Amino acid sequence: MDVARFLQYIALGTVYTVGVTLIALPSGLILGTLFALLNVYSGKVVKWFTSLYSTMMRGIPPIVLLFILYFIVSGNINLSPFWAGSISLGIVSSAYQMEIIRGAILSVSGGQMMAARAIGMSKSQAIRNVIFPQTLRLAIPPWSNEAAIVIKDSSLVYALGVPEILRRAQLISASTQQPFLAYAAAAAIYFILVFVTNRLLDALERRLRIPANP
Amino acid sequence: MTNPILTIKNLTKKYGDNVVFHDINLTVNEGDTIVIIGPSGTGKSTLLRCINLLTRADEGQVWLDDKEITAKDCDEDVVRQHIGMVFQNFLLFNHLTALDNVLLGLTKVKHMKPEEAKVKALMELERVGLSDRAGHYPGQLSGGQQQRVAIARALAMDPRIMLFDEPTSALDPELIGEVSDRIVFLEKGSIVEEGTPDELFYHPQHERTREFLWKITELYGKKETGKIDG
Amino acid sequence: MKRLILLVVVLTLTLAIVGCASSTDHLAAIKDAGKLVVGTSADYPPFEYVDEVGNTTGFDVELMNEIGKRMGVTVEWTDMPFDSLIAAVQEGKIDMTIACMNYDEERDKTVDFSDAYYTSEDALVVLEGFTGDLTDPMNMANYTVGAQSGTTQDGWITDNLVTPGLLPEDKFMRYERVDQVALDLQAGRIDVMMSDYVPAQAIVDQFGGMKVVYHGVLSTGPLNIVIPDGDKNLQAELNRIIKELQAEGFIDDLAVKYFSE
Repeated sequence: MDVARFLQYIALGTVYTVGVTLIALPSGLILGTLFALLNVYSGKVVKWFTSLYSTMMRGIPPIVLLFILYFIVSGNINLSPFWAGSISLGIVSSAYQMEIIRGAILSVSGGQMMAARAIGMSKSQAIRNVIFPQTLRLAIPPWSNEAAIVIKDSSLVYALGVPEILRRAQLISASTQQPFLAYAAAAAIYFILVFVTNRLLDALERRLRIPANP
Repeated sequence: MTNPILTIKNLTKKYGDNVVFHDINLTVNEGDTIVIIGPSGTGKSTLLRCINLLTRADEGQVWLDDKEITAKDCDEDVVRQHIGMVFQNFLLFNHLTALDNVLLGLTKVKHMKPEEAKVKALMELERVGLSDRAGHYPGQLSGGQQQRVAIARALAMDPRIMLFDEPTSALDPELIGEVSDRIVFLEKGSIVEEGTPDELFYHPQHERTREFLWKITELYGKKETGKIDG
Repeated sequence: MKRLILLVVVLTLTLAIVGCASSTDHLAAIKDAGKLVVGTSADYPPFEYVDEVGNTTGFDVELMNEIGKRMGVTVEWTDMPFDSLIAAVQEGKIDMTIACMNYDEERDKTVDFSDAYYTSEDALVVLEGFTGDLTDPMNMANYTVGAQSGTTQDGWITDNLVTPGLLPEDKFMRYERVDQVALDLQAGRIDVMMSDYVPAQAIVDQFGGMKVVYHGVLSTGPLNIVIPDGDKNLQAELNRIIKELQAEGFIDDLAVKYFSE
């Protein structure tokens, strides 16, 4: 058995893991942000609807949702497992990201909105120029957690046939009968990905922090 | 000095059964400084918010110059550009420097060119004596400095009138009597009496006004100042 | 904001367009595309596994590649967990699956099968030191048993031992993959592993310290390629080529290559 080659095979799965994450996280952010805005700033019906969405999505195990979205909902559209898996994971993540953004919006004081309206800004101008820039700063730390979760959850798309890190480790484990080596390699790669992501986001947060006297 | 700039007619605000103020009538002429005083919880802040439409009154009208701004077809975003407001806790935009706080309304609401807007914003900061703090964030300014930035932010919009909510927490209360043309005493949601500072402070007509001033005197130890809001 | 709305619209449309299966002939479509998408679960050596350069290979894989060649198309392999394969065929995500699958009445309700391309047997594997009696497979009722979930072995144990109440539910462990069953056998968490005979033999050789105590046709038997329900043209084409390969001795040669040391 050529260990180096097998490890390389597992490591190549990083491309898929990173790819899935890079599609799922931003699409989840866009959807989640939109739902959060609707939830906080719109009428009762929309508020109820978005809350229901969030509760349902978060109440179902991601793997179950992934199967539903992939096999049933995406039915006969010609989407590759990679894209279907990534978008499905993005939809799953959108509910969690909605809660993160919603919490951040609510923790920006209501006075900020009032002050913006008082100088003649419309609601949407106030959201864009005053509420949002503050919201995003507040959202970075919890979002960093969600990014780590999505990186780890990206392993779920193996169930749809995307040859990412975990699936490759399973295949190598099956063909070499060396499960420890295969899974240790996978664990190491996941750890590095999560560690680097969190460090980058920490740095971003420090960079964007609003200066204030202690 | 006789053109009414702001006219309030029969203004009433309720939250459910709880009447905040009712049947308020008030006329403000161009150049006037009106100070509204009264016990806390008497509806002063809510009255101000009803004037610039941050809160909608239930009954009555507000006229700015000869336009009824409480009318249904009136664009409240446009109205607020003409009514400057300085909040009790200033409410500066926390993520922006003092300069950007003043700039935001000029570029986004008045759609001024960035260079022109910057010149004007700096001039407004200069007016409140804070041009050397232009690059500071609200968190780096003292309470008084924040209030002055908030004033500059409101003045930059060239408003017809300015509203100050509880400005005395950072201003010397003794000054109020000197700068105001008229004092309005508001209690339990209605205007009890109004007059010049001299009339109201030294010759109050109503028992309730006297009681209020007496309590304030006890609190501050001086006869000629009251807890002044507006 | 406009872009956000657009995205939501696109997503909604994506979710809304369901059930527009092509009515054109599947076989003709495959030949036109020059590409046959075949699913397998490449964790079942020697039938299907990943070789040291990361290629999918094995008995089933090499056979399918030859079938593809004779259909005049290239085979594109999609790896997914065993449990997902049937659903993927049903949903048209893959054209067919070859994954050491047997004909099964339950499966026949939702998909179709080719003729058998090979006949496999079941095996019962235990540790070297095992002293019990498994000459009759029904004796598994006295032990803790493991099998790969969704396989015919899983079905056989469920139907013959668990449902009649001979084997308590908590004494039957289902695993996602066969190597996990072997690992738990090695660890002593189960007493008997039931699987296809050929991979069982391969596992005994690789792990060591295990033996096959029984082999014969119980749950398994003929192996078939699984195709979409009612896909008669594709079925006929596969059956024709399988017959051809059997006649030429190609399949027997493959069996020797993969199933003997």
